[in-house]
Amino acid sequence: MTNSTLTRGLTPSPIPAMAAARRAFGWQKAKRLARDHITFIVFGLITLFFILHAPNFASLATANAIGRITAVVSIMAVGMTMVIMCREIDLSVGALASLSAMVGAMLMQTGITPWLSIPVMTAFGALVGLINGLIVTRLRIPSFLVTLGMLSILSGTALTLTDSLPVPIGDRTLGKIMANGTLIGLPAAVWWTVVFALAGIYVLHLSVIGRQMAATGGNEAAARFSGIDVDRAKVVAFAICGACASFAGYMLAARASAGNPSVGVGLELNVIAAVIIGGTSLFGGRGSVVGSVIGAIFIGILAFGLVVIGLSTTIQEIVKGVIIILAVSLNRR
Amino acid sequence: MSAADNPLPTLVSMRGIVKRFGANIVLRNVDFEVRAGEVHALLGENGAGKSTLMKVLLGIHAPDEGTILVRGEPLASISTRARLEAGVAMIFQELSLVPAMSVADNLFLGREPLLFGGRIDRRRIRREAVELIAGQGFALDPDALIEDLPFAARQQVEILKALSRGASVIVMDEPTSSLTVREEEVLHTTIAQLRGAGIGIVYISHRMSEIFRVADRLSIIKDGQIQGPFATEQITIPEVSRLMARSAAVVVMKPKARREPGEIVLEVVDLGTARKLRDVGLALRAGEIVGIAGLVGSGRSTLAKALFGLIPDARGDVRLSGREIGALATPPRIRAGMALVPEDRRAEGLVAQHSLTANVALPNLADLTSRWPGVLSWRRETEMFLKFRDALHIACREPGQPASELSGGNQQKVVFAKWFASNPKLLILDEPTAGVDVNAKAEMRALVLRAAEKGMAVLLITSELDELAGLADRLIYMVDGRLVPGEATPRGEEEIRTVLQQLAITHEAA
Repeated sequence: MTNSTLTRGLTPSPIPAMAAARRAFGWQKAKRLARDHITFIVFGLITLFFILHAPNFASLATANAIGRITAVVSIMAVGMTMVIMCREIDLSVGALASLSAMVGAMLMQTGITPWLSIPVMTAFGALVGLINGLIVTRLRIPSFLVTLGMLSILSGTALTLTDSLPVPIGDRTLGKIMANGTLIGLPAAVWWTVVFALAGIYVLHLSVIGRQMAATGGNEAAARFSGIDVDRAKVVAFAICGACASFAGYMLAARASAGNPSVGVGLELNVIAAVIIGGTSLFGGRGSVVGSVIGAIFIGILAFGLVVIGLSTTIQEIVKGVIIILAVSLNRR
Repeated sequence: MSAADNPLPTLVSMRGIVKRFGANIVLRNVDFEVRAGEVHALLGENGAGKSTLMKVLLGIHAPDEGTILVRGEPLASISTRARLEAGVAMIFQELSLVPAMSVADNLFLGREPLLFGGRIDRRRIRREAVELIAGQGFALDPDALIEDLPFAARQQVEILKALSRGASVIVMDEPTSSLTVREEEVLHTTIAQLRGAGIGIVYISHRMSEIFRVADRLSIIKDGQIQGPFATEQITIPEVSRLMARSAAVVVMKPKARREPGEIVLEVVDLGTARKLRDVGLALRAGEIVGIAGLVGSGRSTLAKALFGLIPDARGDVRLSGREIGALATPPRIRAGMALVPEDRRAEGLVAQHSLTANVALPNLADLTSRWPGVLSWRRETEMFLKFRDALHIACREPGQPASELSGGNQQKVVFAKWFASNPKLLILDEPTAGVDVNAKAEMRALVLRAAEKGMAVLLITSELDELAGLADRLIYMVDGRLVPGEATPRGEEEIRTVLQQLAITHEAA
């Protein structure tokens, strides 16, 4: 029986009406499933369009390329999902990625081993996120404003550090570890995406703190009345979001073998779009890490596919925007 | 009462109004009228039919039977707009003003006089606003922003807004519930002025002393039937209380003396908050149901929230089973054994879009972890829900169903379930049967008794006096944030009501 979860607790009944009712349930469930995942259906159709119309689109090389391109947005989207789940927003992730690219590159110039620099940079991002979260929860300022201010502070700092000059990274290992090296045929960037996605699933969907985030975003008053420390849930979400953004920014630096102070400009918009396309409610309480990663990949496929079918990059931006609005409007609930 | 007794003309007259919702008859053959220049008070318990009658009057609901006459003419259309044109307006509890706009702009909101090219004629708005304010003799500054005005002044703006749209009958629903004592005086002056201008006022309030001060006549709705009108000089408060009391059939039998109160669970000394509570002291024993009687706005819910650690400025000693918890936040208080079924189920009790399982698990997450640290066990979570689904007879399709899909009564059972699952020592119930149907009410009351039988100390806050009379082992009374002495074991809801009204009057006098 395909719909056993629905009928659990009901004894199998020979009455035809009940069987019909159960079939109706199955149909309704299918409809609900289609409605809940309408964006993924659209996503599938668009991918199919590229496969049919773009030469050699359906290849492992394409998949690897898209995986590499989207890793940064995917990883940032994992953290952003937690913040949006709490009914907050973090606009500072792109600027944090820029700053992390710079700080990371400068850190590498001190001669630190790459393996140590990665956790240091991740902790650096968590610290920035922690500050965001503390300001939001302690001073009761909307996260939109706090992180908008933080965006300015972080990008300004990134530019000021070297008077807006890029910082080269001499070490080759870092690039291999974080982006370009391969393991079992997959690029390191894809592996990191998997690691962050799994960690995100663990935190958001399996652990107590994730449930607390969902309850906080779903109904903050009810969560508080149930003894949830909503402020702590938010602070943790912001810290994780910062850690993800910083890691992603460092990954950008490693890939380019240089820290560039404007490498993350505008990334926050792609990240938020990925999360919302992935089915996470902008009004909190409902969402999924896997959806966000799929959303990020969708944006990547869209960008890549539009290049392959030969649209100019300027028109691409327009088409991308239209499709994102369409996808989100279908997903709005 | 013939026209000869009273020369004032009748503005609105409702005759033989019947309103059904499905099989449920909410209004049975109700007559109600408002005369020019009178204050006609409407009384009744929650759910008696007061608000339905007013919604019929305002054209929000169409009556199933009956006629509504405006100045002797039957109303043709039932729409709200037609009713506004006929001159019936309601002053809402939540005022419908734009806080960031001036008094004058609010008065003309949505019908601004225009100049050539669609520009708003601000000078005319201001001039006419000044005339309107002067016409009623209110002390209002037309340029003041609504958000800077005290509540009573905002009410005056609302009233002006209604009058400027031609209202001759104004319905006021609990108009003093948000006012300070001084502001109440302002409102009473306003009402006197309106009366002098020949406006008819329908005055809905729970405060009987106030009604006797303000109203000329009063009518009482009980179970959809109306009694009255009575002239206020010719009836007394105890008589009105008696008329308001529900029939004996609804009262739950009282299983008194079956439970032996155990040791002291909750001890409160000098609990106070900056705004509402003053010097609250009380003690509860295990297995005991203590009811708090008080009028709406007397601070009962604030007390519940303060005990639960939800009011940051609460000061005082709170001991739970001998342990001082007065300085702790909510989560440790829950761990110490407190539980609160809040007043507003949808806003505070449930995460409506989340599953039933997740809702029941919410206060109990720490007990539901698996072998991995910090990871929830879905199996244990579902087991917890199923256990309480069966125990409380929650009617639902599946554990993963969103709480929003359940009926009010079943939603409330879910809220009970999440706290029963936490196995508390003290259960605080704030209006546990509000907004659920009669059968669910009975089930809810049985749950309260069961909680006490299991040895929980229960603090019961409810506006339904038959519930207090039927469930509580003893009562404490609350007036304006203070506990006041009163009959601890009254004989029935009538006596509770009389005590409450008297307490309110003595307190006002003091």
